[in-house]
Amino acid sequence: MQASTGDRIMIHGHRIGEPDRDGEVLEVRGTDGGPPYVVRWGNSGHETIFFPGSDATVQHFEHAAS
Amino acid sequence: MRTMEGTRRSGIGIGPERTIHDAAAVMEQTGVGALAVIDGDRLVGIVTDRDLVRRGLAKGMPADARVDGIMSAPVVTIGADDDLHSAFALFRTHAVRRLAVVRDGQFMGMITVDDLLIDLAADLADLSRPITGEVLFAHHDSPVPATR
Repeated sequence: MQASTGDRIMIHGHRIGEPDRDGEVLEVRGTDGGPPYVVRWGNSGHETIFFPGSDATVQHFEHAAS
Repeated sequence: MRTMEGTRRSGIGIGPERTIHDAAAVMEQTGVGALAVIDGDRLVGIVTDRDLVRRGLAKGMPADARVDGIMSAPVVTIGADDDLHSAFALFRTHAVRRLAVVRDGQFMGMITVDDLLIDLAADLADLSRPITGEVLFAHHDSPVPATR
């Protein structure tokens, strides 16, 4: 997986009825966009170090040049 | 199969200075029952929902207590490229339900007894399918070779 700051991470539910979880990538700690990532989950503001598995996908966003 | 290929869930890590309230909230938010406790880039422990109950709530620890006060350490690990079957032996000898998957000493994710059970159930279903067919439906014996 490759991600950039501001991308959205999704963890898909493992059981029927279990909701997907989503968070925002705040920091990329790996090289070349690789994991781990610092992710803020939902609207809770809780930040974790995230190591993506097969249950996770990333949604890339175009980032405006600063 | 390599261990990393049998790992079904993403790994979630938090710092040792975080509170047990934070740990519980992260578990709720991300839907996992165990968090890796990571100091810098070093795996120093694992905290589970069971730890929160038995070592936190049951002992009367405050919600702002540090998570490294209730975590399990040292962590039982397995190499990401190790054969998945070596996980069976580790689960058997260490009486744990989760193993931290590492590569070059870095945490990569977690593999659980549940992951292995799901794989085993799928394998058993594949093996039993032809037998089930024979039991439920007519026998399909190979035809006798035609003789002249």
